Amino acid sequence: MGIVIAVISGKGGVGKTTATANLGLGIALNGKKCVVVDFDIGQRNLDMILGLENRVVFDMVQVMDGDANIKQALIKSKVSPNLYFLAASQTKDKSVLKSELVEKLISDLKKDFDFVLLDSPAGIESGFEHTIEFADAAIIVVNPEVSSIRDADRAIGILDSKSAKVKNGEEVLKWLVINRIVADMVESGEMLRSNDILEILDIKLIGKIPEDKGVIDASNQGKPVVLDKKSIAGQAYARIAGRLCGQKIDMKNVEISDAGLFKKIAGMFR
Amino acid sequence: MQSNQYSVKVFETTIRDEAEFKEFFNANHTLFRDHLILIQGDMSDEIKRYLKIKKLQYLQNVNLPKGRSRKALEKEFQILETELAVTKQIAEAELKKLSNKVQNNLTVLDGMIRSGRELNIDGDLLLLNRVNSGATINTTGNLIITQVVEGAIRCHGNFMMLTASPKANIVFNGVEVDNSQLKDRLNRVELKNNEIIITPVLKKDINWAL
Repeated sequence: MGIVIAVISGKGGVGKTTATANLGLGIALNGKKCVVVDFDIGQRNLDMILGLENRVVFDMVQVMDGDANIKQALIKSKVSPNLYFLAASQTKDKSVLKSELVEKLISDLKKDFDFVLLDSPAGIESGFEHTIEFADAAIIVVNPEVSSIRDADRAIGILDSKSAKVKNGEEVLKWLVINRIVADMVESGEMLRSNDILEILDIKLIGKIPEDKGVIDASNQGKPVVLDKKSIAGQAYARIAGRLCGQKIDMKNVEISDAGLFKKIAGMFR
Repeated sequence: MQSNQYSVKVFETTIRDEAEFKEFFNANHTLFRDHLILIQGDMSDEIKRYLKIKKLQYLQNVNLPKGRSRKALEKEFQILETELAVTKQIAEAELKKLSNKVQNNLTVLDGMIRSGRELNIDGDLLLLNRVNSGATINTTGNLIITQVVEGAIRCHGNFMMLTASPKANIVFNGVEVDNSQLKDRLNRVELKNNEIIITPVLKKDINWAL
């Protein structure tokens, strides 16, 4: 029986889909069976970032409606045999999701996979609620800026009140990923420090990802950045995937820039 | 000395026209059986005899101590009544103030108030956690928040104690409070004589003497 993790953020554009793709692949590279499901019905992007655009034949809605078998709809990744992908419907919208159908789909996936990652749509509408409803855990992706933090705060509030697990008196695990950290700006005080963010959101931190230009190119090419061993963001994703798989990996402080270190040393001799 | 004391109703009049006088008493004499008739001015023997026949008691040219008229009595009663109502109101207000000040249906919460939540508390609130940006708290009573407030507060009590970030929106009894005065670790905000008084309870930085 696997674990179901919803990747949420509240605000759009903070890197949910990128995080889902990279963590899914990172987990698969750790030897665990993982499936990533795009819940952003009507606006699917995950297929492109995983480089599986041209493989999509059946989508999640067709599986839920019984038009396709789940085995037919699951797409195997080109990169890792452990990673599978279930696409969202691009033609339908969020209203097609029904709780019973979502529950059945998720429990089916749970049987076959160690990790089920759900890529949530932005916002807090019904699509978001269906994503979190049957999740065992949530990865909350934020950017170090106030609007992202407030929206994430709201999303956590809804997670804590509407998830099926909470309604049964259990707790949904919540992990924070701080994305797109620019060390220079943190040092100069222009960007929120992760300690401030943790104080506001009051959940456990699972990783910090530095801003990396390579991420956009990797997404465009359909090769998640986690495959790039030299990329600092890719390394950060690999560390988080490792932590999710139960490895003890120390938190790397990405809020100190190399340039900053040089400046400090130079400052000593001034 | 033995004595009795009683009130009598007095009918006071002056005789101008004897015929008119007689006519009036012919019609109404039964009404005046229990009254004392007081005649001011002259009265003839004819009238005296007439009153005797009608068995009416009378006095002539006497100054009786004047009682108060019914109207005056009613007015006085009304004044007394309003005075009583006012004192009652004042007492009630004082009592309410006092009970507000001490404790009034206290709610204690230890959960983070996240963005989008709206708490409406009837009575006092003691909150042991943060109020995040985008959350709203309404209380009819007093309010104490031990962690930083970044959301909106609407307090209608006699006092509140909190620490607010510059993002917060604090309204105390309908008046917006300047956040820059609330940045100490804990600040007491209270209403005294229709004036909002803010006193820092715990200063942010404690400078220990070395």
